[in-house]
Amino acid sequence: MDGIESEQVVAADAQASGGGGAGSRTPLLELRKMSKQFGPVQALSEIDLKVYPGEVTAVVGDNGAGKSVTLKTISGIHPPDGGEILWQGKPVHIRTPKDASALGIETVYQDLALCGNLDVVQNMFLGRERTRNHLLDENSMESAAAATLSSLSVTTLRSVRQSVASLSGGQRQAVAVAKAVMWNSKLVIMDEPTAALGVAQTAMVLELTRRLASRGLGVIFVSHNFNDVFEVADQIAVLYLGRLVASLPAKGLDRQVVVDYVTSGASSRNGSQLAHADGA
Amino acid sequence: MTIASAVGELAPAPRPAPTPGRVWDIVLRARELGILVVIFAVFGGTTIYNSSFASSASVQQLLAGASIYALLGVGETIVIITRNVDLSVGSVLGLSAYVVGEVFLHNPNFPVPLAFLVGIGVGVVCGVVNGAIVAVARVPSLVVTLGTLYLIRGVDALVVNGVQIDPSSIPGGFIGVGVNNILGVPWIFVITAVVVLVVGYAMRTFRSNRDLYAIGSNPAAAELAGVPVRKRVFWAFVFSGAIAGLGGALWLAQFATVASTAGSGYELIVVSGVVVGGVAIFGGSGTVLGAALGPLLLNTINQALVAARISAFWNQAIAGGLLIAAIAFDRFVSLRRERNLRLRRAARGA
Repeated sequence: MDGIESEQVVAADAQASGGGGAGSRTPLLELRKMSKQFGPVQALSEIDLKVYPGEVTAVVGDNGAGKSVTLKTISGIHPPDGGEILWQGKPVHIRTPKDASALGIETVYQDLALCGNLDVVQNMFLGRERTRNHLLDENSMESAAAATLSSLSVTTLRSVRQSVASLSGGQRQAVAVAKAVMWNSKLVIMDEPTAALGVAQTAMVLELTRRLASRGLGVIFVSHNFNDVFEVADQIAVLYLGRLVASLPAKGLDRQVVVDYVTSGASSRNGSQLAHADGA
Repeated sequence: MTIASAVGELAPAPRPAPTPGRVWDIVLRARELGILVVIFAVFGGTTIYNSSFASSASVQQLLAGASIYALLGVGETIVIITRNVDLSVGSVLGLSAYVVGEVFLHNPNFPVPLAFLVGIGVGVVCGVVNGAIVAVARVPSLVVTLGTLYLIRGVDALVVNGVQIDPSSIPGGFIGVGVNNILGVPWIFVITAVVVLVVGYAMRTFRSNRDLYAIGSNPAAAELAGVPVRKRVFWAFVFSGAIAGLGGALWLAQFATVASTAGSGYELIVVSGVVVGGVAIFGGSGTVLGAALGPLLLNTINQALVAARISAFWNQAIAGGLLIAAIAFDRFVSLRRERNLRLRRAARGA
């Protein structure tokens, strides 16, 4: 670590303890110099990112900046080929989605990864069905799914036995989020959760996102939409051409600063000194 | 929490009272019930025209004639639910029937239950070939099983080599399974019904079978959820092969004679019967019971045309029409569902 980077870490820490609700300052997840290469393409170079419990960390950036790769690396779809991942302060290896689940990392994918022909309960337990005497335990799964949905105040579903194909976009998103939190997860990654939603449904999903953080979960919120990001985020991390160029507390942040970082990888405005990753 | 109060989506939804539209929805969903109603309607109508249609001999013939198609439909359904298709079932049936016949030709005292196991074994081997190519090499099943359809038929012709199995070489105990009745019901129908009930129950209650629906519904999501997609697809083909093998043994028991063309063309009858029975051709939905009722309906119509002395040429036209009607019906139900969704959203004022 060179001097500039350690300064940035200190600055980010100071900011986080000011704005966040978490007592302990050990990050839930920490990426150290994480890199990923696809053939000749350097998709991610030396990403440093900290995600704290009880906070929403937004990851923003233009198309191709590396947002999707970053979250796929964390969720075990594309294991990193350089750097370190620390989970609650300890180095871990995440090579498959199962590894991520075992740690308590769940991902809500952009296309939701739900099965339209299956009902809400079947989707929430997909691949992890409960059984009793080797038979599917439908009653126990149904009540657990209903309990999780109601703990998230998702109450518009007519029935948890409805097929997912008959749900609205917002309801599907809610089911996908409920599926993610049902497994005692500690970190929920949301990839463009509002991309296909109308205004009211977007508000619902943002509300749901805040509720996850207030339950003490860490949330990584990947989005294109600055309105949504400023609505929910505690911390905003900006990726530019595969590099993390800024990690800023959202509170009181000038939106234009984020725009500068997203479009050019740098900002000359106020607040930029808080977190320059490197001299690029 | 201020957003919550402003958002209709979070407010507790009043439970909607059953309206005629909702009752209609429930009827539309119970596809098996609908097919049963149509079967009885065709049966009743034909009986009015020709009372001998309801005679026990005629009903036995009806059930026995539909049994092998319905049985193959069970295996085919498992494959189609995973968004694949098995076009080789007719050829597998033919090969299995012939191999079992050969066994009897050389060992006239071969035990009958073992003969059925031989048939199933032939089917399993063919299913392993299909499953391995589809699941491991990731070749589309339409192409793979079209290939094995001809391949297995060719092997069949080589094995048969012009020798026909005739009834004199098949033991009476074995033929009895194909032609006798128990309490007035054909044995072959009882066997099919038991398979339908057992597999139908297993599809509802076992974890691994839930995976089949997930794979057909959204293969990528199934993979992300940790479902062993290739393994499940492989076993679906093995199961379909085993069922086709059992079908071959029953075919031999029923007809007591085999030539190299036995079972040719069955694959399309089976696939259309299954689709008429409500199994979506793109996978992810359908039941084994519906898949068995579809062929029964087609056979009932077939026999009804004979009883009503309508030209048999109509038979294929009607089968084709029903197939298109079934697909149109599925489309209608899904459009209706989408429209309801839009209306609900509009009503909420979102």
